Amino acid sequence: MTNIALPRRYTLPAWGLTLIVALVAELVYFSLTTRQFAGHGTGMLVLTEQFVPIGILALGAGMVILTGNIDLSAGATASLSAIVVGTELRHGVGMWGAIGIAVAAGVGFGLFNGLVVALLGIDSLLVTLATQFIATSLATSIGGESPPYGFSDMFQRIGTGLVGPIPSALLLFLVLAAITVILVSRTGFGRALTLIGYSRSAADYSGIRTRRTLVIAFTLSGLFSGIAGLVLAAYYNSARDDIGTTLLLPAITCVVLGGVDIFGGKGRIAEVVVAVFFLGFLSQGLLMSGRSSLTVTMITGILLIVALVVKLSLERQSGESLGGALRRLLSQRGFRRPARQR
Amino acid sequence: MRTDSTDDTAEPAGSGLRYDAVDISKRFSGVEVLKAVSVTFRPGEIHTLVGENGAGKSTLLKVMAGVYTPDGGSLSLGGVPQHGLTPREAQSRGVYLVPQEPRLMPDLSVAENLYVGTLPKGRLRVNVDWRAVYARADAVFAKVGLRVNPRLAAGRLSIAQQQLVECARALAHDCRVIFFDEPTSPLTAHDSQRLFELMNDLRGHDLALGFISHRLDEVEEVSDAITVLRDGRVVAEARRGELTRQELVGAMVGRSLAVTQRAAHTTTPGDVALDVQALSCPPEVNGVSLRVRAGEIVGLAGLVGSGRTEFAETVFGLRGPSAGRVLLGSRDITARSPRTCIDAGLVYLAEDRGRNGVFAEVDLSRNVTAATIGRLPRWLSTFLRPRQEQVAAQRAAERMDVRAASMELAIKALSGGNQQRALLARWVAAAPKVAIFDEPTRGVDVGAKEGIYEIIESLTRNGLATLVISSELEELVRLCDRVYAVYEGRVVGEVAGDDITLETLGQLAVGAS
Repeated sequence: MTNIALPRRYTLPAWGLTLIVALVAELVYFSLTTRQFAGHGTGMLVLTEQFVPIGILALGAGMVILTGNIDLSAGATASLSAIVVGTELRHGVGMWGAIGIAVAAGVGFGLFNGLVVALLGIDSLLVTLATQFIATSLATSIGGESPPYGFSDMFQRIGTGLVGPIPSALLLFLVLAAITVILVSRTGFGRALTLIGYSRSAADYSGIRTRRTLVIAFTLSGLFSGIAGLVLAAYYNSARDDIGTTLLLPAITCVVLGGVDIFGGKGRIAEVVVAVFFLGFLSQGLLMSGRSSLTVTMITGILLIVALVVKLSLERQSGESLGGALRRLLSQRGFRRPARQR
Repeated sequence: MRTDSTDDTAEPAGSGLRYDAVDISKRFSGVEVLKAVSVTFRPGEIHTLVGENGAGKSTLLKVMAGVYTPDGGSLSLGGVPQHGLTPREAQSRGVYLVPQEPRLMPDLSVAENLYVGTLPKGRLRVNVDWRAVYARADAVFAKVGLRVNPRLAAGRLSIAQQQLVECARALAHDCRVIFFDEPTSPLTAHDSQRLFELMNDLRGHDLALGFISHRLDEVEEVSDAITVLRDGRVVAEARRGELTRQELVGAMVGRSLAVTQRAAHTTTPGDVALDVQALSCPPEVNGVSLRVRAGEIVGLAGLVGSGRTEFAETVFGLRGPSAGRVLLGSRDITARSPRTCIDAGLVYLAEDRGRNGVFAEVDLSRNVTAATIGRLPRWLSTFLRPRQEQVAAQRAAERMDVRAASMELAIKALSGGNQQRALLARWVAAAPKVAIFDEPTRGVDVGAKEGIYEIIESLTRNGLATLVISSELEELVRLCDRVYAVYEGRVVGEVAGDDITLETLGQLAVGAS
């Protein structure tokens, strides 16, 4: 009998650490250069209200992308949810009832996506492209000529309220993020999710309930889109039919920057969460220091490419250990491609 | 590519090319597939490579056609040494490999398929001279005896016709050396015969032809020269008629029959654990009935395409049966999902390990637990315990004698034999009552095969009901207490005990009772 070594008990993920270092450096830089950024101690936290909806979308999209699929309808579903909750509130439906209906709309769209993808086997790119149009047009027609605005203080608190020094939106995001992290990294469902992403067919042959898992992943994405829509409506105190649609690409950017393989399998939700903060603070910091949103978009693009190149070379150098990778990077003066295997 | 054209003109057009491989060696992820193999293909000759699965025949032809780069040795085409050959260069220098399964682009026309990458330009230099394409295609098709409209989409042709298109492609590029990698395995007897006529015709035109086949009667029929490969080495070379069938088989198998004699299984089998009744899943599976008892190794012999894998997939719930029943003990598991089958005690080691077995990028630990991780009833709310999981996976892997440095290693880094043992560990971890092993030693180094046989035997001794599917008859003779032969989706025979011999199985597998 041979001995096979067990992995070390605790390993620090190289990419996650890199992101955290970058995040801290960014926070320090903006605090020093831009007076309003740090504000009165908690100013920085309030900034998160601006990008929490993107983060919530990224959690759902991240789960779907881990399976090797994509959810293009997430943003449009958030718009629909925002319009629905706004309309219901304007019609005098109670806050919790309105929230329930809006979230149900999100869940419904997610469930529909999941069922079509899993049972009919149609590519998720096509399915969610189609449902994106359906959700957008529904949002437009429900919203009508004068989209709803002016909600109760109670409802607005979801988007702009504070719990102690912490914005309630941020708190909501952190709770959802924690649930998602545990779901993906510590449950059988999460394992099924990633194994399907690595190989759908090997998963089928291993007795993993691939269809059920896919349906749940898309439904969760729909649920998160619905919640993101609530936060958007509450934050802006109004709802437009494109309020969430424009958030889709930033959300997918966060997922990819967080190290999730766009073809599925590889990736950690915790790192996606760090990426959300990194990108969110980056754009807020740049805007506050007087840059135009055009500059912000360009810098985001450049950064994404730089980040992906760095990540790739980290992985090629040493798999997981950051220290080893950095040492080798320093000793080698440049990236050398590893010997091809075959 | 100027040097290429001088190479080509070194040989006067129309004459044959001699192609020498000297001391070629090749290894795949640590497994040595070719060990210093030397072979010469001469013009005007059909040279056949024979050997068991995994002997290295296909690999050799692929090396010579530029598909693989050899790790050692040299190639010489018409006396000109070849280095770092690519398939494209091989083709431009006159070497063409007709693959086992034709690789035509189904949506392009037959004629386009012939000239992919080399379509003749029209007068505008940016357009294609379609008239020339179709005219040339017609001419080449006449040579190979293919009567189809060259404008037809290639996907609409039969396999036999597609194979002829592959041959035509070789001729269209003026190839002087043509290799056929098991061309007859998907063909009917009639179509095979037509292919042989074409090969004879090409031989008459002084081409050098290489051929691989498992069907010994056709090998004897067409070959001018035979080279027998075993475990990556040349073990016999002969001219036409120099070897008897017996000697040929002996050279292929290597071990004397006394050694391949069945291990004596003394235990008496227990109750029927798997009872399949008239299971159908057309068109591949047509009413298969069989029984496997606890403590018994039952074989399923059949050629590629006989429906044996489709049968197993139907039993395991991956395909929906149209009729029939599957009983596991007393429980009816007909048309239930793989998950239900696994939980009821039936596991299936898939034939295609790379596609349906391993998660290549995933670590050894999660590969081993993949089939058991979802088994807990409340799986959505069940929390994984990574450390416990790793320890359990480690134990299972070590019991199956997996050789690996760490459980953290991606499984693709392991050798074929170790990957297969890791998959055995995956299935044994599910505590099965019945196991179907589909080609359990495919892509496994010869030295590692015996270890896998021993694992299967020891599991069976402990009460497992085992069904082994294999196209290696020797494997079935070695392992099984009872063997069913399947042919075109039907059971055509059953042999037990000392009646299980290479001869009886060989005859049953080709449908002759």
